[in-house]
Amino acid sequence: MDGPDVGWYLIVAAILFGIGALGVMMRRSPLIVLLSLELMLNAANLTLIAFARQQGDLDGQIFALAVMAVAAAEVAIGLGLIVAMARRRMLLDVDQASALRG
Amino acid sequence: MIVGAWICLVAPLAGALAITLAGTRISRTTAGWISTLTTFVAFAGALVAFVGLWAEGHGDREHLSTAYTWLESGDFQVELQILLDTLSSTMMLIVSGVGGLIVWYSMGYMEGDEEERRYFAYMSLFVFSMLMLVQAGNLLLLLIGWGLVGLASYLLIGFWHSKPEAVAAAKKAFVMNAIGDVTLALGLVLLIWETGTLEYLGVFEQVDGLSTTTVNLVALGLLGGAVAKSAQIPLHTWLPDAMEGPTPVSALIHAATMVTAGVYLLVRASPIFEAAPDVQALAAILGAITLLVAGVIALVQWDIKRVIAYSTMSQIGYMFLAAGIGAYGYAIFHLATHAFFKALLFMTAGVVIHHLGGEQDIRKMGGLRPLMPRTHLAFLVGALSLAGIPIFSGFWSKDGIVAAAFASGDTLGYTLYAAALTGALLTGLYTFRLYFAVFHGKPSELVKEHSHDGQREGPLSMLIPVGVLGVLATIGGLLVIPGVWEPFLHWIDETAEPTVKATVGQDYATSAIAVTLGLIGFFVARRASAAGRQIVTSPGIWRVLEHKLYFDEAYDALFYRPAAAISVALRRNVEEPVVERSLDEIGTGTLQVGGEVARVQSGLLRTYAIAIAFAVCVLVVVFVAVR
Repeated sequence: MDGPDVGWYLIVAAILFGIGALGVMMRRSPLIVLLSLELMLNAANLTLIAFARQQGDLDGQIFALAVMAVAAAEVAIGLGLIVAMARRRMLLDVDQASALRG
Repeated sequence: MIVGAWICLVAPLAGALAITLAGTRISRTTAGWISTLTTFVAFAGALVAFVGLWAEGHGDREHLSTAYTWLESGDFQVELQILLDTLSSTMMLIVSGVGGLIVWYSMGYMEGDEEERRYFAYMSLFVFSMLMLVQAGNLLLLLIGWGLVGLASYLLIGFWHSKPEAVAAAKKAFVMNAIGDVTLALGLVLLIWETGTLEYLGVFEQVDGLSTTTVNLVALGLLGGAVAKSAQIPLHTWLPDAMEGPTPVSALIHAATMVTAGVYLLVRASPIFEAAPDVQALAAILGAITLLVAGVIALVQWDIKRVIAYSTMSQIGYMFLAAGIGAYGYAIFHLATHAFFKALLFMTAGVVIHHLGGEQDIRKMGGLRPLMPRTHLAFLVGALSLAGIPIFSGFWSKDGIVAAAFASGDTLGYTLYAAALTGALLTGLYTFRLYFAVFHGKPSELVKEHSHDGQREGPLSMLIPVGVLGVLATIGGLLVIPGVWEPFLHWIDETAEPTVKATVGQDYATSAIAVTLGLIGFFVARRASAAGRQIVTSPGIWRVLEHKLYFDEAYDALFYRPAAAISVALRRNVEEPVVERSLDEIGTGTLQVGGEVARVQSGLLRTYAIAIAFAVCVLVVVFVAVR
């Protein structure tokens, strides 16, 4: 099999996932949070495809396509929410949007 | 013929429904007429059935007519059917005839009452229920009629629902009767279990094949029902209180018809009782005790209606005695004559009460004879009949029972005979004590106040039924003259063959003694009245009797108080601390936990994200480490 070993891909995916997770946990702008979520999803996609390539079958790749479709839908909703927040002149800060607390 | 019987059954029901559905669209008088006329239609139907039955040959007088199958459960089925035989046709005539007269009388008595329509609807319902009871072709329909008359009785005792005593009396009557209903129902269940049928004829055929225990239990169940309904000791305490109801109700339900249903049951189910001789003897003994106890209590009562109520209990005691020793014909004969003269007494008492503006205390009465001559005459007829003075109806029927007790022989028979004769003396005493207190002596203040010249004794609708019953009470007994002509007894014998029959000699000898005792009662009461003293002079005995031998107090102490105490204890020690508090604690506990948990839900997105990430880390560590 050509190219780097599957371990390298996993390392890259782990770094990407870590960056995304830290972004979700630390940033307060909803837009950035959304971007970070995308990073995490794509890290997952990377592992799927890496393993698919290692195993030599297409299941993982197909699953990655499905994840992309879900991610696109999620972004659409997420951006819609952010636009709605902007229209209502709410602060674009996830810490302020806490009206659902118990 | 059988059509007449069905009309007899349905007409009063139609009347009750018509009055109920018409509501306030009809006037009060119309409601009264609907009720009266439908009851007389029932009487006409009963008459048709009776004549048809009469025309038939001896031995053919038994007809079962089935409308449809009402209940079906496996092999067991109950049909809506009526049984027309000599016994039921006699009862139909008494119930609808006397009932019609009393409903008619009510139109005068209840004139001007607030809720006459409701009253007449109840009366029609009662007549229907009673006819259902006597016409039923199987024991389940009888039980339905049994329950319905209890309901109608409850409704009518409590008719004046703004009077707390009336409501309490209604409840008491219902509860006491419910005890009897339950034992009756248990007896029926046992019968279904053992014989698979409730039809009279089917049951009676199989009675001989049953074990002694079963028959005894069934008979005891039936006897329990009869004792409660007929106000016999020990389930008698409701009847005197039931006098809180309107007087025509007392006359119809608590004298002439419903309370005699127990006697009807004893006679109707005589094959069962004959198979359980001990229980049958128990019925006779209870009857004898009741007739004595009620007789002595009647001596000290002040309420005109209560005196008559106790005398009713006492007379039904005679009927139980007769049915218990197997003199069925005389039991039903006394039932019939008692219906006449006791309804007559109640209705004349009603005329007096009506005249005096609702007063029932005999201490406030007196000297009514010259003011109400016709009422006086009617009451006198009733009193003579009740005391068993010759040619009046009670003489023929009661003496027959006493003689039959003698004829039944052995120790029990002679004891019953002695009790019945003592009862005859008591009857004379309390009857004429009442008579002299009400009609003789000087007119009291109350009487003067209510008496004006040229005043009528009451509306015609009251006086005509009283007159008719007066005639019946006078001549009704002539249907049985021992040894000469006994058509009534032969008629009933076809359904219930008596097991004991007094000889003509025994009959007349007994009559002589009983009449003498009745007359002694009369003279003692007259002397006491003339001297202005009571018959019972000892204050100690008076007090015991005034408390009705402490039956109410005993039941209160034996049943009510323990039950109430147990209830209170259970509420204090179980309901409140255990059940209620545990539910409360569950509720408040859940609320508290919820409040604590709610704090975790901060609404901060990033906190959630951190929590998820942390949890995932923990899970990973756990999976890796534990594996």
